[in-house]
Amino acid sequence: MTTDTVTSRAMPSTSSLASSTKFRTFAVTFSTVGPVIYLVSLFMNWPVFTYHPATNRFAWGLEAARSGEGPNMTWYGWTLTALLAATALGLLATLLPERIAKRIPLNLVWILPWLAIPFLAWDLKQWWLHP
Amino acid sequence: MNIISVNTFWTLWLLVHLLLSVALLGALTHQAVAAMMPVRKVAGSAGFVTRFRAVPAPGYAAAVCLLWVLTFIVGSYIYTKYRIYIRIPLEQAHYWKTQGFFDFKEHVASVGLLLLPAYWFFWKNAHDPQYDTPRRMVTVFLAAACWFLFIVGHILNNTRGFAS
Repeated sequence: MTTDTVTSRAMPSTSSLASSTKFRTFAVTFSTVGPVIYLVSLFMNWPVFTYHPATNRFAWGLEAARSGEGPNMTWYGWTLTALLAATALGLLATLLPERIAKRIPLNLVWILPWLAIPFLAWDLKQWWLHP
Repeated sequence: MNIISVNTFWTLWLLVHLLLSVALLGALTHQAVAAMMPVRKVAGSAGFVTRFRAVPAPGYAAAVCLLWVLTFIVGSYIYTKYRIYIRIPLEQAHYWKTQGFFDFKEHVASVGLLLLPAYWFFWKNAHDPQYDTPRRMVTVFLAAACWFLFIVGHILNNTRGFAS
């Protein structure tokens, strides 16, 4: 039996979004700068908001845990910082002329996340080195 | 009226998170293997590995995006209880490395979320050779990230699940 099977190629997409050069620029920019902004937000501690789970309270920006009110959570805020900033930069990038937008290196989309891993491991050193 | 206990409520959400992550793990693993070792032509009867690789990988992209987002949202929801009822006891018990791996997990989940637009675009244009390398490598990153998230979550649950 012989079967022709092509598993990683597809017919050209019929989706207008998938064939849009503006969306290509947005998606590549968003996914390139998003992880970088997340790491900066984490390193600089720039959450859009802080959540206090014990009291179910939200506060804009970074707010330290208050005595008697349990811990604070900044991960949601860091993620939102990255989502908002990456969306803004992605939209701005769609305003670039196509000849410039096409020069955004596609490979940064996967190289930067792999580089983020050792940075994250280093950033979390307090847990690995805790006596 | 309380139909289920608070513990049961949160355990059910943890199970929803688990089931979504299992679906995501399966889809991403199939897709990553198909992307890295595509089956061009099968002569004779195909073995298990060949059949594993022979999935129509582009068709998984939208499902992977949806599953990643849903798993992320449910995980974010149960994280509020984790922060108080799981993390604090873990710190009191000096499980520092376990705690560190959970923080690693949250960061990797966010980085993965941010890759989804490009990932979806690359797969929707899988016929275009210029996207071959980034499409494969982003898929491999997401698959590796998903395995990492799954294993860390599993270990965390073994260390101290919601019902403990």
